[in-house]
Amino acid sequence: MEALLNGRSGVGLLQYLKTGHKEFPVGEVKLTDAEMRARLGIADDAITTRTALMGMLALEEALQDAGLTTDMLPKIGFISGTTVGGMDMSEQFYLDYINSEAHKEYIAAHDCGSCTEMTARHFGKFAFVTTLSTACSSAANAIILGANMIRCGEADIVIVGGSECITKFHLNGFNSLMILDTEPCRPFDATRNGLNLGEGAAYLVLESEESAKKRGAKAQALLSGYGNACDAFHQTASSPEGEGAYLAMKEALELAEIQPSDIDYINAHGTGTPNNDTSESQAMIRLFDGKVPPVSSTKPFTGHTTSASGSIEAVFCVLALQNGFLPVNLNWSQPMENGIVPVSQPSKKALKHVLCNAFGFGGNDSSLLLSKAETSRRFDGLNDHAKAPEPVEVPTHTTASTTWYILSAKQISLQQPLSEDWMQEPVIYDEPFVRSIDPNFKNYISPIEARRMGKILKRAVATSKEALNASGLDTVDAIITGTGYGCIENTEFFLDALSTEGEQLLKPTYFMQSTHNTISSLMAIQTKNHGYNVTYAHKGISFDSALQDAWLQFKLGKINSALVGGHDELTETFYHILKKGGMMGKDDERCGEAAVSVVLASASHYKEVRRSHPEMKPLCKLSGFEMLHQPSMNALRDVVAKMLQSAGKSLADVDYILTGISGDHGNDAAYLQEAKTLFGDKPLLKYKHLFGESFTASGLGLYVAAQCLKAGRVPFSLFVDSKEVSDRQPKCILLYNRSDGKNCSLTLLED
Amino acid sequence: MDDLIYTLKQQIIEALNLEDMKPEDIDENAALFGEGLGLDSIDALELIVLMEKNYGIKLKDPNQGKEIFKSVSVMADYISKNRTK
Repeated sequence: MEALLNGRSGVGLLQYLKTGHKEFPVGEVKLTDAEMRARLGIADDAITTRTALMGMLALEEALQDAGLTTDMLPKIGFISGTTVGGMDMSEQFYLDYINSEAHKEYIAAHDCGSCTEMTARHFGKFAFVTTLSTACSSAANAIILGANMIRCGEADIVIVGGSECITKFHLNGFNSLMILDTEPCRPFDATRNGLNLGEGAAYLVLESEESAKKRGAKAQALLSGYGNACDAFHQTASSPEGEGAYLAMKEALELAEIQPSDIDYINAHGTGTPNNDTSESQAMIRLFDGKVPPVSSTKPFTGHTTSASGSIEAVFCVLALQNGFLPVNLNWSQPMENGIVPVSQPSKKALKHVLCNAFGFGGNDSSLLLSKAETSRRFDGLNDHAKAPEPVEVPTHTTASTTWYILSAKQISLQQPLSEDWMQEPVIYDEPFVRSIDPNFKNYISPIEARRMGKILKRAVATSKEALNASGLDTVDAIITGTGYGCIENTEFFLDALSTEGEQLLKPTYFMQSTHNTISSLMAIQTKNHGYNVTYAHKGISFDSALQDAWLQFKLGKINSALVGGHDELTETFYHILKKGGMMGKDDERCGEAAVSVVLASASHYKEVRRSHPEMKPLCKLSGFEMLHQPSMNALRDVVAKMLQSAGKSLADVDYILTGISGDHGNDAAYLQEAKTLFGDKPLLKYKHLFGESFTASGLGLYVAAQCLKAGRVPFSLFVDSKEVSDRQPKCILLYNRSDGKNCSLTLLED
Repeated sequence: MDDLIYTLKQQIIEALNLEDMKPEDIDENAALFGEGLGLDSIDALELIVLMEKNYGIKLKDPNQGKEIFKSVSVMADYISKNRTK
């Protein structure tokens, strides 16, 4: 706060990261990992990552600031954004992971979801936990999901934000894209020449008005609107006219029901790259019809904190609202051509409504509208914090429609791809890891488009196009993807080059594909879709998180259709690393890949589709969805009852339970025991033996259950116990996903 | 020069992962970006890496690439005049 008011930047020479690139100024958190562990009271030998450590420090402050105690956590959600995850450790130990047994305990800390889990675990059990990964807009999208959950009545309090440390991986990645400046960054200046990287974490406590009142908590600000749109232009460049940015800001204003002229300040994404600042300027000039309110980018203070920037800058906006000042855009001196002129002197100003922009690679653009706490508006009270918290109010929403259809689902695996014929006679395999059988991608992708696509992207395009085609929809309102590890093949190429050849001459293509949101944004670019677009990366509930997002937005009436995907790929090297890290492949478990795309639509939208496609029949209905973090059996039982009740069902109506048992004997025994306890003598089904285990295998589970409902029969091969084989026609299947014993999801499907 | 052009085409195909393309398929006088092959800014960055790796030519500013990467022949001409390896 004092630094913001006095124009004191935290950007300086590299001090902590071990890299040869000393020429780039950075905004590092001025603590070593050991110092952070000491502050948190974590043992020196505990497995942690820098992203998780920063996250814990921020979360601790947020909890304190909002007056929340650990006994309240089981009713509170935690949603974090990150892209780097545990890359700080993976880039140090990559060759060890391949060649020796050293440091193998860090393998399980690599993925984004692990960092969120680690951060959460330091404090206790939460009601639910998930991870957004939309590159530099991750934290902003975590805030949006939290708000949607509160508005849907799924929670009263959700802690949202992001954490990201600087790594050699993305410092070199941004360098390969030639967008790092060797001077302090100068957003919106004529001489701007790139960004400076930063790191940090910030969490905000979102709380419904009712809950905050009940607790006697005072809101620090209101989250009165938010928007998410996809630029759908290019994986690493923004469109010249800033379409995605424009749409995101416009949506935020519309949701808050306020006019552009009511906005007192915009905290711009303003990275300092020639491309971003031109594009963002155009979007602001267009939205405000030339009368742009005061704008500044606070990145010269912090550097670009990438996945955390959305929440860190939201905290700055809260401080500006509370203290009535305009944060200055440091290092600015010369107006850029066709650009906005930012706030160049710190100044006092009473603020009522401010916009906070966060844009990511792939055109994942989001904008938050924050308002002064006393302003009476509709949404959540923000109990923010990493540096300060506030509650936000949100009305609980009633929905117009309660039925959602799964119109189509397509998969690529070792079973015959993009077809359902395999279900009669599935392939049973005997290899330790399972490779998918790919269709001829030339039917879906031109050679020039294919030049930059790893197999995970090609599969995503093929399954998405086939699913859209089978759904009868020309377009969808939202594209939502889950992926545990993202484009692992390209990540591996980049890590390999970094580890063996050093920090020179790295290929930008590998880096740009390494972000998890490449898949979702590619689908938007391919289909010119400017709608809602996000990516989840949270271990075995990555796909489930994507489905939940769609489910919430259906309930809020925000979308009428969605393309939901689950994608993970495997390479031979990665398989060995996973196995060494004890992540997968125990006992009879096989490591696999997943590529599944599902198209959903609301009942009203489906009716419209029927008008032009009378032959169109949905696979099934989606009647319920719930996600929980480390639930007790009692909590699970309650949630099952609640879910069935709101779908107008009882357990007696459920014909089959689809489990995700995978061949890991210890885990499966506990899993099946829980299923028996929860569901009594319902016949239990399995599917992972046909596909192998992967973080997004649960998407294949949904696919299998939906196909069974459509076909009106359950193939013999799916029964867990051959004594339970039955020809009972499935009318209602409950999917019970239990991932690592930590996260559970329940999905109710009906014919 | 013809040898350099042919080698360069092979290197471009490899660096940009242009599946199914052979050197003969690239017209050395056609535009690489926009109307011609249809390459974009990331490809330009890959070509910068290619020039540094194979010919020891360092470009500091991606905008310099606009002139140099007009076509394969223009690129070959620039390389032959500026190569350090």
